[in-house]
Amino acid sequence: MGMNRRDFLKVSVASSGGLLLSLNLAGCSGIRTGYQEDSGSWRPDAWLEIGRDNQIYFTLARVEMGQGTYSGLTTLIAEELEVAPAAIQPRFAPVAREYRNPLYKLQLTGGSTSLATSWQPLRVAGASARIVLIKAAARVWQVPAEDCRARDGRIWHPNGEDSLTYGQLVELAAGESAPDEPPLKSPDQWRYIGKGRGRLDSRAKVTGTAEYGIDVELPGMVYGVVTRPPRYGARVDSFDAREAKAMPGVIDVFAIERGVAVVADKYWRARKALETVAVQWDNADALNVSSESVMDFYRQAADDDAGEEERGDGDVARAIESADRVIEASYEQPYLAHATLEPMNATAVYHDRGMEVWAPTQAPDLGRIAAARVTDLSPDEVTIHTTFLGGGFGRRLTQDFIEEAAAIAYRVRRPVKLIWSREDDTRHDLYRPAMLHRLKASLADGRVTGWQHQLVGPQILDWYVRNAAPAQYPWAPKFLYGTLGSVGLAAEGIITPKDMSAIEGAVDYPYRVDNVEVRHTHADPGVPVTWWRSVGHSHNAFAVETFMDEIAHQLGQDPYGFRRDLIQHEPRHLAVLERAAELGDWGQPLPSGRARGIALHRSFGTYVAQVVEASVDNGEIRVHRVACAVDCGQVVNPDIVRDQIESGVIFGLTAALYGHITFEDGAVRESNFHDYQLLRTQQRPVVDIAIVESEEAPTGVGEPGVPPVIPALGNALFALTGKRQRSLPLTARPA
Amino acid sequence: MAITLTVNGNQHTVEIEDDTPLLWVIRDEIGLKGTKFGCGRALCGACTVHLNGNPVRSCSTPVSVADGQSITTIEGLSDGDTLHRLQQAWIDHGVPQCGYCQSGQLMTAAHLLSYNPTPSDDEINAALSGNLCRCGTYSNIVAAVKSVADAAEGA
Repeated sequence: MGMNRRDFLKVSVASSGGLLLSLNLAGCSGIRTGYQEDSGSWRPDAWLEIGRDNQIYFTLARVEMGQGTYSGLTTLIAEELEVAPAAIQPRFAPVAREYRNPLYKLQLTGGSTSLATSWQPLRVAGASARIVLIKAAARVWQVPAEDCRARDGRIWHPNGEDSLTYGQLVELAAGESAPDEPPLKSPDQWRYIGKGRGRLDSRAKVTGTAEYGIDVELPGMVYGVVTRPPRYGARVDSFDAREAKAMPGVIDVFAIERGVAVVADKYWRARKALETVAVQWDNADALNVSSESVMDFYRQAADDDAGEEERGDGDVARAIESADRVIEASYEQPYLAHATLEPMNATAVYHDRGMEVWAPTQAPDLGRIAAARVTDLSPDEVTIHTTFLGGGFGRRLTQDFIEEAAAIAYRVRRPVKLIWSREDDTRHDLYRPAMLHRLKASLADGRVTGWQHQLVGPQILDWYVRNAAPAQYPWAPKFLYGTLGSVGLAAEGIITPKDMSAIEGAVDYPYRVDNVEVRHTHADPGVPVTWWRSVGHSHNAFAVETFMDEIAHQLGQDPYGFRRDLIQHEPRHLAVLERAAELGDWGQPLPSGRARGIALHRSFGTYVAQVVEASVDNGEIRVHRVACAVDCGQVVNPDIVRDQIESGVIFGLTAALYGHITFEDGAVRESNFHDYQLLRTQQRPVVDIAIVESEEAPTGVGEPGVPPVIPALGNALFALTGKRQRSLPLTARPA
Repeated sequence: MAITLTVNGNQHTVEIEDDTPLLWVIRDEIGLKGTKFGCGRALCGACTVHLNGNPVRSCSTPVSVADGQSITTIEGLSDGDTLHRLQQAWIDHGVPQCGYCQSGQLMTAAHLLSYNPTPSDDEINAALSGNLCRCGTYSNIVAAVKSVADAAEGA
């Protein structure tokens, strides 16, 4: 058993938004390292395996959902190992302590953290292996190790002619000791980092051979579908399955915790049988809200309770008292669905050694908890195989689909693939929270003296902790799972760190204003919520950057110049703002009927400013161009940075133009892509991206493109129409 | 009922209810998983295949419609190990992100080039307007199609 040998994996972080628990479990892991007699390969650490046949495997501890970890993280290892990234075969990681995200102490992919948390450890892992291989070769040749070098999968003799392949050296290398602090290559020595050479998974994805969760096939596999209550929180009271059970291929119909499941030998047979099942729902504990009632509830909460002070600089009350003028505005945002193109699904089989699950999941160790909860198994008896993900965006951090598949497989004792319909996926999501923001600014002598931001809405951790808490207490018996969730919450700030999900992007208001107050009125109407690409930033950027625009107009200042004057003390903010203004031709003439809007927002350590050019054409908003400047530290793959930022822009525009999940009597009205629309190719703007050079450590790019584009578009529409829109989605005909 | 399909040049006979969507026959009876399920209502294009050379949404096409007909899926787009020029262009332009919609995008684009080898950007956008991509890879898709069209024009 290999102990967790690397101290850097135990990085503890105080201020992240994730769950953190300082339990120091000294447990051994299941990752065997060293030379493996049985396979004839060498495994220097948890990530790398080099075979005698020169095959190099890299265990990818972060999932691939389109954000590019498959290529990006492989590149880090390849760079230090001195092989081309394409020479390495990535494999998705099993659940093991080594593969946890050190920021969250959980094995999950989210928060635009993969590159930032892997940047150092993966390069060190690659470099350690390289040095050990060099030492082994030096011993063979009886020459000084310093005079040998690694290149393209070989160690080269000082004479520059002789070489040994890595495969030839693995057995010897396993006997060498790794340096404590292997020297890393300097940026000018990089051959792959920063060069951008496409993606390693492209070929599989254009030939239809990449295996997503929905593609998993097991011998004897059957199909499961589930009908869930229209109103969240309702339970099965009774159901009539007589007709369904008589239909061809139907194996079983039964209630599970979340609804009624039909299992049949074919998917379509299961789906058709499900339509005949009449369910009586017990709505005693069911959600009973509408989108309007949620906003009314928020307004009342805001009136009743000023909320927790999350930031207090100076004295805002006094600034307001002594102001020449006070501006106020409220902003409202709806619930949003994730709408990954691959619907939720999972395949599970229960056998005498436990359970195996194949799933497109962002958090495999939480999947084990979900499966254990509904079976007689402990989490250790559940194996999760992670597949490619057809989109994630935060949806697949919650393991409800694994829980359902596990419950069904446990009952029918056969391999079962559970597939959600698109309607299931839209109506039984956990949503980006609806939010209310109230902003107030005091102005005196032509400048901003005070900034007050009260935001109203739920915290995501309240919803997540039930699933996540047990993963952090692996010794806990199952009957404690519910308690662990509530203990984690009760002790928030002690056991778990502060939940930043609602306030991120608001508390870090960057502009130079002497008096700043940010308050969160915690109000949870009972609608299930979770992380959604860029999380709190997705709504806070809209409130903050729209209000900044309103103040600029009230002061009669140019929106760009206004921001620039107030951000002089933040060089990275300033640089992207100026770069975006230049790239977006700020202040330059425009064709008639068009206008520009600007916004600046930092999220996940990455700085982004955008200038949006828009018009209203035939009663529709038309976005012509988005100029975008990005500072994400050092760049590992510039193509992926550009693609991810553009992807975020499209995602943000989709929310700005179409995004709304509507509750009526506790149920979701939207169901499929006709009423929950995604931006289409002919609606896409030209996206111009400038990457600002930086020597800072790399930060994430999966999410930071999203937040600023929403206010930037709203600000452009104000410039165009003179009407300020304070709720989303935006409309071409503001009232 | 017994349905006979020619898929990527191979003939298959399957015993199946005739209202079963072609998608599930291709995926689960014939075992070709490259064609994807996205919406079930012909709204997203992830399930696009060619039926006698024309693109159809297989999630909403009853298998009976395809009886005795010829179908091409993403697995049949390449010629053995030799990729279709669109597939190569997709790789060269680094198009796929999550990749889930790309089989449908490629099948739609391949059909476009089959009747219009040198489409304009507007024509590409129009042809692909029914294929949704949640990752927002549209600009790379259009650039990839354009590169193939430009090569055709130069030839």
